[in-house]
Parts: sequence; structure tokens; C-alpha cells
Amino acid sequence: MTWLIEWAGYLPQLMSGLGVSLMIAGVSIVAGYPLGLVLSVMVQHRNLAVRTLGLAVVEIGRGAPALVILYLFYYGLPKFGIAFESITAACLALIWNSAAYSSEIMRAGMQSVARGQHEASAALGLSRGHTFFRVIMPQGMRSAIPGLMGVAIQMFQGTSLAYAIAVPELMKSAYNIGSQDFNYLQIFALAGICYAAISMPATWITVYFEKRLARHT
Amino acid sequence: MTLSEIANGKLAPRTGIRLDNISKRYGDHLVIDDVSLNVEPGTVTALIGPSGAGKSTFLRCINLLERPDSGTIQVDHHTIEPGKVINAKDLAALRRTVGMVFQSFNLFPHMSALKNISFPQQKVLGRSKEEADERALQLLERVGLKDKAHQHPGRCSGGQQQRIAIARALALDPSIMLFDEPTSALDPEVGLEVLAVMRELADDGMTMIVVTHEMQFARDVSDTLVVMADCRIIEQGDPRAIMSDPQEDRTRRFLRAVLER
Amino acid sequence: MDAFSAVLQGLPMTIVLTLSAFAIGIVGAVPLAVGLSSPNVVLRLACRLFVDLVRGVPIIVWLFLLKFGIQVGTFKFNPVGAAIVGLGVVSIAYLAEIYRGGLESVPRGQNEAADALGLTRGTTFLRVLVPQAFRIVSPSIATYLTGLLKDSSIASTIIVAEMVFQSQAFARQHPTMEGILPYVLVGILYIVLSLPVAYLSRSLDARMRKAVYA
Repeated sequence: MTWLIEWAGYLPQLMSGLGVSLMIAGVSIVAGYPLGLVLSVMVQHRNLAVRTLGLAVVEIGRGAPALVILYLFYYGLPKFGIAFESITAACLALIWNSAAYSSEIMRAGMQSVARGQHEASAALGLSRGHTFFRVIMPQGMRSAIPGLMGVAIQMFQGTSLAYAIAVPELMKSAYNIGSQDFNYLQIFALAGICYAAISMPATWITVYFEKRLARHT
Repeated sequence: MTLSEIANGKLAPRTGIRLDNISKRYGDHLVIDDVSLNVEPGTVTALIGPSGAGKSTFLRCINLLERPDSGTIQVDHHTIEPGKVINAKDLAALRRTVGMVFQSFNLFPHMSALKNISFPQQKVLGRSKEEADERALQLLERVGLKDKAHQHPGRCSGGQQQRIAIARALALDPSIMLFDEPTSALDPEVGLEVLAVMRELADDGMTMIVVTHEMQFARDVSDTLVVMADCRIIEQGDPRAIMSDPQEDRTRRFLRAVLER
Repeated sequence: MDAFSAVLQGLPMTIVLTLSAFAIGIVGAVPLAVGLSSPNVVLRLACRLFVDLVRGVPIIVWLFLLKFGIQVGTFKFNPVGAAIVGLGVVSIAYLAEIYRGGLESVPRGQNEAADALGLTRGTTFLRVLVPQAFRIVSPSIATYLTGLLKDSSIASTIIVAEMVFQSQAFARQHPTMEGILPYVLVGILYIVLSLPVAYLSRSLDARMRKAVYA
């Protein structure tokens, strides 16, 4: 019982942290997915230079830990005189992350569109642009939806890393409370519940979409 | 030696099977409606009928891959009532007596042909590896696939896979064999090699129940033709008699549709 | 000392964290995967809840919870212990989900054939389902390993002296332009380290597909 009372006392502060976390996650998705779409087109481009550039951005965004990219923006770039506020650095790092991951999912989605669709479009005399935007992309995006939802959840969880550069998000708020009265177990358990309260239902919805999609194809 | 002699070591006592009042439903949907069938020892029963009639489901009820909701199964002095609790011993005895061949072969893809046939013998009958391997090789030779013994199923054609699957089932010395559309997944030409093996098995006196669309096989090989439609048996008897003079209108329509193709 | 050797100082710890957690996960996920595909509803839901809960909470929260929150008598986790246990438990949950997917993707006919032959449930599971499932999921397991390698960097936040921690330390001592180097180098190093695993995963993928379905 005493736990519940203490938790009730912690909640307001945690909620403002959660708001910051959701904001960063939102930004990384809203800015990251369109970039991801661009990248997914770049990595399939005929031009070698474009393809290489796309690949490099994607492979670094996926291959390096999010924490390293975060530090690169927040601690690394200022040494060249490019300084960001911690929250901006966090957003930029996660945008790169989400663009890289989402691009792979969109690419896979578009490549899963049956060959016959390309052939039919060509036979009908549709232009390359029409073929891509009106035939391939709508179908590819549909099968990419569950994967993109998964990346969104991953991004939300990734915002917890912004703690390491002192962004006042959920994890940082929890840590601040904990270091005041050393109730680390309670406060981190509560923070965990806050994360889970969003991630778990989101996962279930994703699984539902996955199953629906599997049924309809 | 004949195929079933190799399979059994000696000729096994011939066994029949008797099914009474078998019913099965999925939720509200009735798939088997009070079906009874008596199969005499050493006979071949061909089960035909339009798709969706419940033939495969009925066949799968016989070895309890599908659990009927009611009815009785009598085989080899055992009586099983699937609607009630079935003890593990009865189930094991039933499955040991009844062998099955599937439309999609269902060989174990991670085991060689030889292992596919010898592994179940070791596990189910407790045979030694040497004994099981020897039996497996005999059977493979008999179905004309000795050279495929060490190939994985993925390297064999559909017809070869199905013959291996028949050998796998025979290796456990069943006295009754169930065939669930064994040639439906095969090209017509390839299906013939499978049918030849089945024909030989029938000549040896194996009790067989075959769900099939091969009318020629049903007419030439089976002793009893059973026509199923709409979850029930609508007609059964001598295959030639039924094919030349069906008593039921539904049978006539089905046969016309199949034979005119 | 130059930036690269500073980063390299953390390499052994990164590898220790990754492989220890991976070992815990590979073994610990087996009973959980069995639970996830159990016909017993209560057991299945309990395992599902555990997996979803562990995956629903960010790794950094688990690490802080273990490092600062757990105190039993005089026992407290040291940073490395907390990191290994935390990453290990998270691996168990993710790998169990991968195993379950593999078991489910074995065609139903395999179960039926085993039933029709009279194989016992244990034999069917161990000799028929698991070998096929393992071939199906081994590329996913390799992919997970590369993910785990990257996630081990989070241990730096509870003061485990792995690669990112060493990069930080070097960067702090070098406020000049040189200070960006460790971050760039450590990023490249993670990518380089995951290359062999990615390569392995791709060749496994091709080989397994051939072995099972060709």
C-alpha cells in the first residue's frame, strides 16, 4: 500500500517526463519515416553514387548503437563548433535511427510486391513514376505497416537513452526522483510500468495488424 | 518376396476395421454426419466424392488425427470411443496398427530417406539401428529407390517422396494403410509410379482405405467403392456396378463430372 | 594514448557482456518458448505476459533497476553483474519469441506425420520440430546477436567499462577536435564487429533454406 501512495506522489513528475519521451518519439517518427522512404528509394537507385550514399546512411544508422549516434551529436560535433541542445541532439539521433530502420522495412515491403505488378504496369505503358507511386508503393507500404509500427515502438523505447545526455525525459525524471530519496526500486519499477503501459498495448496492436495482413494476402 | 512380406517380416495377421456412427463438427459446422463403415480384412476400399464431402476428414478420424465427437472405432479387438477420454495405450496401439500416407508426403525434410524410414522404427518399435536400417533399405529397394537412401527428401521428385513415405509407413508393420489423396499433388505421369506401388500392396492383401480422384485405380483395384457427399456416405458397393449404374442421382452427377473431364 | 587504442580497451568487456548475455538467452529461452507454445492456456498467457513485459521496458530501465534497485541483505549487483543479468533476461525474452516463431513455422503436416507414425510428443518435439525450427530461425538468432552487441553499449550508463564508456572517457580528456574521433571509431567498430555475424547469418539463411526445403 505504501508503495502505491508513494507512486501516486511520483506520478506527476514522471508524467511530464513521459510527455518529453513521447514528443521525441513523435518527432523521430514524423521526420524519420519520410526520410526513410527517400533512403529506401536511394538504395535501389540505378546511380551508383546515390545508391552508395543511401546505403552508407542506412548502414550507419542501423549498425552503430543509438547511444553512440546520440553521443556523436551531443558530445562529438560541438568539438567542431556545432553544438545542439540536448533535446535537439536526441531528436536528430533518433531521426537517423528511425529513418535507417524504416527504410529497410519499406524497401523489403516494396520488393515483396509481385513481379507481375511491374510487368503489368509496363505492359499497360505506365511511366516509371506512375508505376512506383501508384502501383508499387501503395502495395509495398501496406505490407510494411506492422514493421513500421514495430520501429515506432523501438523509437519510443529508444528515447530512454536520451537520459544519458540529460534530456528531462521519463528515465531522467525517474533518476532525479530516485536520487532524492534513494527509493530506486520503486521509482524504476514505476518508470518501467510507464514504458510498458505504452509499449505492450502497442505491440499487441502491431501483432493484430500483422495477423490481419497475413490473412488478407 | 512381396512388398508386405518385406514390410512385415512375415505375413501379418490381416486386420479389418469397423467404424460406427462417426460424427465430427467444427463449431457449428458439421463435417462428418453419422458415418459407419466396415472394412473387411485384406480388402481395398476407395473413398470418392466431390471436394468438401468430408472424405479426408473421415479418413483422418480413423487414426484420430481428427478427433470425432462421437462414434466407435473397432480395430484388432480394440474398441475406441473417441468422444470419451482415450488413454495413451489405446492411441499408441491404434496408430501402430494403422499406417498413413498423406497428400503432401510430410517426409521429415532434415533426415535422409533412409533415416526417415529407420528413425520411427527405432522410436516406435524399439528396433536396433542396424535392424531398422536394413528393413529401410529393403523397402527402399522394393519401391525402386535404393539409390536415394542417403538423399534428403528435398532432392527427390514428388513421386519419389511419396514412395519413400509409403515405405516409411510400411516399415512399422501396419495391418491397415490409409491413403489421403496420395497422387493429388503429383503430375499424372509421376502419379502412376505411386499407384503401381499401391497396386502391388493391394495384391499382397494389405487392408487399404484410399481417398482418391483416380477413377481408374478405384475401378480396377478396389473391392469396395464408397461415395461420400455432404458429410455422409451416399452409396457403397462393387466399384464396377456403381460406376456403370449409380443408384443415387448425386453419385451420377459426380461421376459424370469426373469422367467427362 | 590515441583514440583507437582507448576504444579498443573496452572491446574485451563489450565481448564479455555480449556473449554472456547471449549464452544466458540461448539456454533460458528454451523453456520459455515451450511455454509460449503450450496448449495450457494459463501457462501460455503467463509466458506471453513475461515476454511482452520484459520487451516492453527499455533495457536501460532494467539495468538501473538491477544496479540501484536490488538489495537483498548485503547483496548488491556490481555494474558488470547487473549488465549481464539485465541483458541476459532481455535476451531470454527476445530469443523465446524467435524460437516460438520457428516452432510455429514448421508445417502442420510434420506434426501429423509424426502422430500418424506413433512417435511420442517428446520425440516429435526434439527430433522432428526442433531441428527444423532451428534451421528456420538461425538467421534471426544471428541478427539478434548483432542487436545484442549494440545493446551492450547501454551498460556504459551504469559505469561498465566497455567500448562506449572508454570512448566517453577519452573524449572528456580531449576537448579539441580529436575528441570526436572515439565516437566515430567506436561506431565503425560496432559495424565491423557485426559484419561477420551478418555474413554468417546470410550464408546460414541460404544454406538452411536449401537444407530444409530444396
